Order: sequence, then C-alpha cells, then structure tokens
Amino acid sequence: MKMTPLAVVVGSLLILGAVVFVAVILPTADTSNTPASDILRPRTPAENQGRALYIANGCVFCHSQSIRNIDWDLGAKRIARAGDYLMDRPILLGSERTGPDLSQEGGEHPDDWHTAHFKNPRITRPLSIMPAFAFLDQGSRNSLIRYVQGLGLKDADLRMKRQTYWKKESVRAYEAGPEANIRWLHDMVPEGWRKLPNPYPTTAAGLARGHKIYQDFCLGCHGPIGDGMGPAQADLYPPPLNFTILKGRGITGGILYYQIMNGITGTAMPYFKRELESEKIWDVGDFAAVYFINQSDAGGDPAGIDAAYE
Amino acid sequence: MVIFRKLDTISYPTALGFALTSAVWMAIATFTGLLGATELIAPDLTSAWGWLEFGRIRPIHVNLVIFGFVGPGLFSAAVYILPRLLRTSLYSERLGVLTVSAWNITLLAATVSLSLGYSQGREYAEMVWPIDVLIVVGLLLLFFNLVMTVRKREEPVLYVSVWYMLAAVILTASTFALGNVIWQPSTGALAGIPDAIILWFYGHNVFGLFLTPLSIGVAYYVIPRACRAPLYSHTLSLIGFWALIVVYTHIGTHHLLQVPVPTWLKVIAIVDSVAMVIPVMAFLINIWYTVKGKLGEIHADIGARFIFSGTIMYFFVSIQGSMMALPDVQRVTHFNNWVVGHAHIGVLGFSGMIAIGGLYHVLPLMLRRPVYSLFLADLQYWLILIGVSGFAVVLTIAGLIQGNAWLNGETVYRVLSQIHVYYVIRASLGLMIFTGALIGVYNMVGTIWFRGEASS
Ligand code: HEC
Ligand code: HEC
Ligand code: HEM
Repeated sequence: MKMTPLAVVVGSLLILGAVVFVAVILPTADTSNTPASDILRPRTPAENQGRALYIANGCVFCHSQSIRNIDWDLGAKRIARAGDYLMDRPILLGSERTGPDLSQEGGEHPDDWHTAHFKNPRITRPLSIMPAFAFLDQGSRNSLIRYVQGLGLKDADLRMKRQTYWKKESVRAYEAGPEANIRWLHDMVPEGWRKLPNPYPTTAAGLARGHKIYQDFCLGCHGPIGDGMGPAQADLYPPPLNFTILKGRGITGGILYYQIMNGITGTAMPYFKRELESEKIWDVGDFAAVYFINQSDAGGDPAGIDAAYE
Repeated sequence: MVIFRKLDTISYPTALGFALTSAVWMAIATFTGLLGATELIAPDLTSAWGWLEFGRIRPIHVNLVIFGFVGPGLFSAAVYILPRLLRTSLYSERLGVLTVSAWNITLLAATVSLSLGYSQGREYAEMVWPIDVLIVVGLLLLFFNLVMTVRKREEPVLYVSVWYMLAAVILTASTFALGNVIWQPSTGALAGIPDAIILWFYGHNVFGLFLTPLSIGVAYYVIPRACRAPLYSHTLSLIGFWALIVVYTHIGTHHLLQVPVPTWLKVIAIVDSVAMVIPVMAFLINIWYTVKGKLGEIHADIGARFIFSGTIMYFFVSIQGSMMALPDVQRVTHFNNWVVGHAHIGVLGFSGMIAIGGLYHVLPLMLRRPVYSLFLADLQYWLILIGVSGFAVVLTIAGLIQGNAWLNGETVYRVLSQIHVYYVIRASLGLMIFTGALIGVYNMVGTIWFRGEASS
C-alpha cells in the first residue's frame, strides 16, 4: 500500500467518520427517546444553582452519580436507569469514588447536617478527606445543600418530607427540656429493645474498640467528653445529645444499640447500620455508657446470652 | 515584526518553543498533581484558598499534563522530525511561533479559569468554550503547517512517523471539537446518556488519537536512528497504523460498562478493547525487533533510553487496559485508584517518557551541541521511572483494597483509613516526579542557553 498524504489524512478522517456514525450517532439515536424514569422531575432554580456550583468545584471528581447492581454503600437503594438522567446536561456520572456515590443523597440527612459538613466535613465525619467549603459564602453552601437534597429527585422528595416532619417533632421535644426530650427519644424505640440490656460484659478490650469507633465516627458531634459540645454543635439543631443527661433516665444497652443502628430521623444523628457491624455498635454503645453516662448494664441481669465470645 | 525578523536568526524556533513549553508546563502540571495528592492526605492544609480546592486542582493537573506537558513535548519533536524525514524545512516558522504563543496563552487561560471555577465538569473537556476554540485553532494551525511542509517535500516516500503525526493532529482537532460539544457554547454538553457516550468517545481518543500516535511517531523516528538499524518491517507499520485508527477510535464505551448505555455498544467496546493487542503488538514487535541485539546503543542515548522505557510501559498499560475492559475485572477496578494507576502508567510512563525522550534526542540535533548535563538527564530518568513504577504499585494496591472492600459491602468512609498510607507513599513518589520535572527545566534551559559548558 502506498501511503500518500491524501491516503493518510483523508483515509483516517473517513474511518473516523464511520466510527462516529457507529459509536456516537447510532447510540445517540438509540437512546434519545429513552422514557422518563419513575423518579424524574424538573429541578428547581435553587437546585440548578447548586448544580452549577457542584460543577464549578469539581465535586464530580470525587463523587459518582451512578449506582450499579453490585453496590452496597450510600445510594444503593436504587440501580441507575437511563431515564434518571434525561435532564442532566452535562451528565455527572463521575469516574472515581474518593467519596460515596450521591445519586440518592437527597433526604439522607437533614439540612443542618449538611450545613456543618460543607463548612468542614471533618466536623461530622472525623476521618473525611473531602475539602472544606468554608471558602464559599453561606448562600452558595445553601444552594449546594438544595442540590444534594434533591439528588434522587422524587425519591429524595419523599425522604425530605420525612426529614421535615421529624425535624419539627425533634425540635419540639428538645425545646420541652431534657426530661421530655429523652422520653420522646426513647418512646420511639420499640419496647423489646428498650428493655434489652447489653448482653456482653464490659471488657477493657471492648472499651478500647469502642473508644476508637467513637473517635472515628461520633466525636465531632457528641464531643470528646460526650457532652454534645463537639464542633458540629454550633450548626445543629437540635444539638447533639449530651450523654451525661441520660443517667438515671431508663437508659439501656438496647436503646443505645437501636438508636446508633437506625439514627434519629429529623436530627443530625445519622444511622450507622451500614458502617458498623453488630459488635462495633455494642462496643461504642458501652463505651458511651461507661465513660459518659456513667451507668452501664453490660453483661448484667437479665443476662442475655451465655456467649462463647464477648 | 521586529520579533519576526529576530526569529529568522534562530534555527528551529517552533520546535524550541514547544520544547520549552513542555518542560515548563511539566513542572507546573506535576506540581498541581503533588498538591492534589497532598490534599488527599491533609485536606485542611489548603482550605483557606478556595482556588486550590481539590476539585479545581484536579482538572488543572490533568489538562496541563495532557495539553501542557506531553502534547507540546511531542509537538516539538514532530515539528523537528517531520521536515527532516521529508528533506525540507518547516513550511512556516512564523506560523509555528504564533502557534506556540497561542498555545501557551491557552494553557494559562485554562489554568486561571479552572482555578476560578469556570468548568464544564466533563472529564478531559472541563475547559470552557473560548478555550476549547483556542485549542482547536491551535491544532488546525499546527496541522496546516505540517501539511504544507509535506506538500513542499523533496522526499517522495512518507515514513511511518509522518503518517502518525499528520493523523494525530487532524483527528484530535476533530474529536476534541466533537467531544467538547463545541456547537453548544454555554454547557459544552449534551443531555443524559448521549452526553456520556460522546464524552468518553472523545475522552478515550485523547489517549488513542492524541498521545498514542504522536508518541509512536516519535518512537518510530528515534529508535531506529539511535540504534542505527533499519525499521524491522514496513508491513507491521502499516498494520499498526490502520488498526490503531480503526480500533482505538471506537472503544470509549469501556469507560461506561456499568452505566445504562446500549448493550450492543458495550459489546463492541469490550471485544475491540481486547482487539487492541493488534495495533499495540504490531508497533511493539516492530520497534523491539528493530532494537534486537542493539540495546547497548539504546542505553547510550538518553533520549532513546527514555523512549524505549516508554514502549515497555506501553506494553503494560495496554495489556492492563484490555483486562480492565472485561466486565468481571472492572467490577473490582472501576471507580477506584486502580484506574488512577493505569492512567499514570499510560500518560506519564508511556507518552510522557516518550515526550521527554524525544526532547532529549532532538534538542542536541537542533542546537548542534550535547545535552547540558547527561548526569542530570540520567537522574531525571530514574526519578521519573521509579516515581511512575511506584505509582503503579501503590495505586494498584489501594485500588484493590477499595474495590474488594466495596464489593464486600464496606462503605467508602470505612475504607478511607485503610488507603491513607498508600496516599502518603503516592505523594512522596509525586515529589520525586516533580523533582524530575524541575531538573528537566534546568537541563533544558541549560542546553539552550548555557551552550553546553557543563561537562557530562
Ligand atoms: C477530595 C474528594 C472530594 C471532593 C472534591 C468532594 N467530596 Fe464530598 N465527600 C468526599 C468523601 C471522602 C466523603 C465521605 C466522608 C464524608 O462524609 O465527609 C464525602 C461525603 C460527601 C457527602 C456526604 C454523603 C453522606 O451522606 O454521607 C456529601 C453530601 C458530599 N460529599 C457532597 C460534596 C459536594 C457537594 C462536593 C463539591 C462541592 C464534594 N462533596 C466534593 C470526598 C470529596
Ligand atoms: C452529625 C452529628 C452526630 C454524629 C456524628 C453522631 N451523633 Fe448521636 N446524636 C446526634 C443528635 C443531633 C442526636 C439527637 C439529639 C436530640 O434529638 O436531642 C443524637 C442522639 C444520639 C443517641 C440517642 C440517645 C438516646 O438516648 O436516645 C445516641 C445513643 C447517639 N447519638 C450515639 C451516637 C454514637 C455512638 C455516634 C457515633 C457512632 C453518634 N451518635 C454520632 C448527633 C450526632
Ligand atoms: C489497549 C489499550 C488500552 C485499553 C484497552 C485501555 C482500557 C481502559 C479502560 C477500560 C479504562 C476505564 C477504567 C474504568 O473506568 O474502570 C481506562 C482508563 C484510562 N486509560 Fe486506558 N487503556 C488502554 C491504554 C491506555 C493508554 C495507552 C493510555 C495513556 C496514554 C491510557 C490512559 C487511560 C486513562 C488516563 C484512563 C482514566 C480515565 C478516567 O479518567 O477515568 N490507557 N483505560
């Protein structure tokens, strides 16, 4: 074959043209009449403003918006469908998960959690490596919050409705004073859990593990001495619980376990069922009971289990 | 015009200009990389300066590496090599110098605008519309200069390097415009899944039609010349060239295997990602058989040494890439540092090493004097080789930890502390690479202005 300039330039351009037809134009035609998915709704102007900031600050380089059938973490409630993205220009699938997927972030937390987290993620998440967005003004951070609270669209709206409802309830309970607040908190715990003591006895090893978990997950809110005065406290309402007030108010290992596992919707208290396995929840609960509440029922009567390992 | 008249007294101003561009922007680009790596270890270190935020630094790093360091380095070699192969001179040095200047203004504008948050948020297509236009214009000016050089050639036969250089520049101008959706100035994007498809069609061709063919073109020139042997096979050159144009261009969807895009498109992408062994091995066999028995000559020529190492990296990155396109493998490797490792083997280990090697080979030919310091060049070689190999190791380990943990139901947050130590090693290796870049600038400036006074 004789490689003339014409053969090289025109030949390769022709091949490129054919490839563009097959690999760009055909699939675009193929996907251009994708029906809207069940969760699709237009974004509000505030959400669009937040989306522009999401793009400007390169959130897309750390966060995907693309859930696969092999995922477990945040957002794995729903596997992505082509119809979810119809209004995304550009589409923000992302190619790296330095942080978790945000497809279904809306309603995962109440707004005040995000207020603290965007100022400095280490406040609510001590080991985070996400940049602090304190350099943005409050208005911009609020737009970002509107955007992330809309991620998941109609699904997000459902979760946000729950957050808004329970936010009101939790604020009312908090403002009624410690006694009423704790009653409110514990009334939501099913009776079986409320009566359940921590079945495993307190051990030095268990406390050491609990301490580590407390530092990695809870410290920024409940504070180094468990009085709820962690740095996040300034932005959260109701503020993080002061553990010391639980003493003598019917606290049990079961309540601690249940609350840590499921979180308290409406408040900044997140659920930890995905991040902490059973033993870790018992350990951190007992750590708080021993060091902060100063009242632990661990391994006490009625002893739950004759455990082979504790 | 005074400047232009002065230009006529310098030989090869365009190639020299691109060489300096490459060296300086390599230092800046590797610095931003180091900065980003540091932020992943100490996120509050830079939090007082919003324009240094990780999400803004990362696209600056990526774009400067591709369009500031590797691209211009290979342009420099191309602008020198192409006329040599055609027994003529560059069509217009003035146009060339204009192109170099415009290109540098573009890079500066890209850096400033991205750090101020002007971004289109699409990987490798972050730069805003006016900058996109400048890049396309720059590529077209360069293409015009090269084609006109071809037209006035004295040598009737086009050597394989010439094919690659011509094709790389014009095809990249086309795919860049397409991938940046340049007819949509405000967003630079389509909507929904088609946007992902066109983005990764282009994104993959940044490597396939820009970095790879230019690197191959330079290697095809330097390697036979350094070992004073004819190229092993003309047939392999032909197969490699046309297979690259046909196959590399349409496998971009292997970046979207876990996304709801049409299945037939994924099948094509997977099958032909494996078929990539054809163009890859056609080139590598051709080069390696040319070198057979002459490794001593390669070792003696610092430029050729960089380039030969680059071809070995090309082997690894391509075999790895074909594996990563298999859905079973990608279940583990997608979304994590494994891919970052792959990207560095490719862009720095393969095309970056070849860009640097090209400069070290052609600069002495242009200036008719030896490299300022062979010792420093050697040091730079080892710093970068160890740096990029280390990257490959630690990022692959980190990626495997992340990928397997996630597959087992661990959350991203829980795995952060497990990969921290690899981030620390990565930043240290990044420091080596950045040091290598600084040495490169010094050596290049030395070669151009200090007139080879240093002994080697
Ligand atoms: C350096 C990478 C990085 C960048 C850039 C980044 N994040 Fe994050 N992000 C993380 C990491 C890591 C986490 C997990 C730890 C945490 O919650 O802070 C996270 C967590 C989050 C969460 C909490 C998810 C949850 O419910 O637990 C939200 C919301 C979030 N990021 C939004 C953003 C937004 C919006 C931006 C851009 C303004 C952004 N992130 C930029 C790394 C990043
Ligand atoms: C983002 C802040 C935040 C983090 C992080 C956090 N909490 Fe909370 N926590 C709260 C808030 C707010 C409340 C509820 C306050 C209220 O309604 O009065 C709460 C309530 C609780 C309760 C309820 C007690 C009861 O008697 O019902 C427990 C137990 C608890 N947290 C434990 C933990 C543990 C253990 C961790 C770490 C694994 C943790 N929290 C992390 C903010 C946080
Ligand atoms: C046969 C050749 C190659 C194949 C089949 C291949 C395949 C792949 C695949 C499948 C991915 C996506 C990984 C994922 O997201 O899970 C990828 C990413 C990447 N590849 Fe390659 N690769 C090849 C060669 C190269 C070369 C030569 C370079 C550099 C010059 C390169 C640079 C990159 C980069 C930078 C990325 C990261 C893209 C991103 O930002 O997500 N690859 N490659």
